[in-house]
Amino acid sequence: MKKKKTPEVWICGIVSVFAFLLLWQIGCSVSELGKMIPGPITVTGAVLKSMVSRSIGGHTLWIHIGYSLLRVLTGYILGSALGVVVGLAMGWNRVVEAFITPIFRLIRPIPPIAWIPISILWFGLGFQAKVFLIVLASFCNVTLNAWAGAKSVDPQLIGAAKMLGASKSQIFFTIVMPASVPQIFAGLQVAMSSSWTTVLAAEMVRSTEGLGWMIVTGQTNLDMTQILVGIVAIGVVGFILVAVMRRMEDILCRWNKGKR
Amino acid sequence: MKKLARHKYLLISCLSIVLILLTWYLCVDILNMVSGSAFPKLTKTISTFIKKFTTAAPDGATLTVHFFNSIKVALWGYVMGVIVGVPLGILMAWFRKFDMFARPLFDLIRPIPGIAWIPLFILMFGIGVLPKALVIFLGVLIPSTVNAYTGIKQTSDVHLWVGDVFGASNAQKLFKIAIPTATPMIFTGLRVAMGSAWSALVAAELLASSSGLGYLIQIGRSISRSDLVLVGMICIGVTGALLDELLHLVEIRVAKGMNAK
Repeated sequence: MKKKKTPEVWICGIVSVFAFLLLWQIGCSVSELGKMIPGPITVTGAVLKSMVSRSIGGHTLWIHIGYSLLRVLTGYILGSALGVVVGLAMGWNRVVEAFITPIFRLIRPIPPIAWIPISILWFGLGFQAKVFLIVLASFCNVTLNAWAGAKSVDPQLIGAAKMLGASKSQIFFTIVMPASVPQIFAGLQVAMSSSWTTVLAAEMVRSTEGLGWMIVTGQTNLDMTQILVGIVAIGVVGFILVAVMRRMEDILCRWNKGKR
Repeated sequence: MKKLARHKYLLISCLSIVLILLTWYLCVDILNMVSGSAFPKLTKTISTFIKKFTTAAPDGATLTVHFFNSIKVALWGYVMGVIVGVPLGILMAWFRKFDMFARPLFDLIRPIPGIAWIPLFILMFGIGVLPKALVIFLGVLIPSTVNAYTGIKQTSDVHLWVGDVFGASNAQKLFKIAIPTATPMIFTGLRVAMGSAWSALVAAELLASSSGLGYLIQIGRSISRSDLVLVGMICIGVTGALLDELLHLVEIRVAKGMNAK
């Protein structure tokens, strides 16, 4: 379905983004707005400057990004691994499903962000509290999808395998697990963006470095430029994380492409 | 025989809840394995929950007041986001020219999570209802626009050709063919948006607020009252689940026969 981008689309895109930036710049230099937020030129300059000098909280922008990424990836990998295992177990075994479902139903509707205060009470202000939150954020999404994936395996396939004398573990490893991979990947995508949001919130509430800390100290120091630099960095890193996940899915689930 | 099996699994589910509550009671209430400031006693949590309906101490408002303050802000932002987001998605998907100009701008703000805007909006608009509603607005705008867009784009070409053959105008094709096709997808977007609105609200209240459920758990933490934090978290979870259920009921009524589950 996806059509190739024509030069026309590119031109329109560039025109509209450029018009937006121009409007922003003019608005800032002409009207009262300029006192409130800095123009795009100032922000671009500040982004470039923070990349090389330790201008924000004694670190360069890269260090802040690195801290946030380290927290996200540690929690994400732990949470996703746990989620896949629990989700597949729930989809495969009805006793496990019956046992875990009520617990899962209790935990899932609470947004991970609402765990921030209790995680601080439990784990203090450091690295652990943030990782715990991200484990929660990714675990719920991945579990739900792995569970649904394992449940929706075509029963005819399982029936055929049984008839040909496959053992239970063979059915699980050669049919159920591969069949639920596309669903699991959908969960991994959602989990990635939700983890990224959660780490920001956690850093905004209590932290001493990272992108969330950067925008929240910008607020306390009335430094609009720092906030906007933070927002730009958050957007770019978030975009890259999602793009990497999508690329991985394209490569690993190539066999499933026709179905999607 | 099948009924018996169903009962068995239901029993296991009940057993799991009872087991958790029992472990909680045993470890915290009786054996005192963790301190009360980290994990509250089961009995204390229940009594705090009941007492919180009538007493305002220690955070200045009863549970009901916190609840309605949160709901009010969340619904403001949510309704605004949906009113702007869904038509925006429909317009972008239907008019190619509009799409070419609006899409790049939309793609610019799309990867930025709603809560990243909190500091900016607080500096610009203070800590009242407006900045929170705006944060939620942005959080809602993105999923509702994306889903409306994909929904309209899913319209089958054949259906549109049928419209052409019978001489339907562009507006008729949009309202009679494309929008009904997109309705289930739009509703999925509305439910995703509700989840993100609720979680953005909690974040906003954690950071800057003087009432609301997010404020309640933040105060509970700062005075080490874990029972209060837990009560707040349970309320947040239950409200979120209820809002989702409510939308699901509307979805069933409105999108009837449009392959909504």
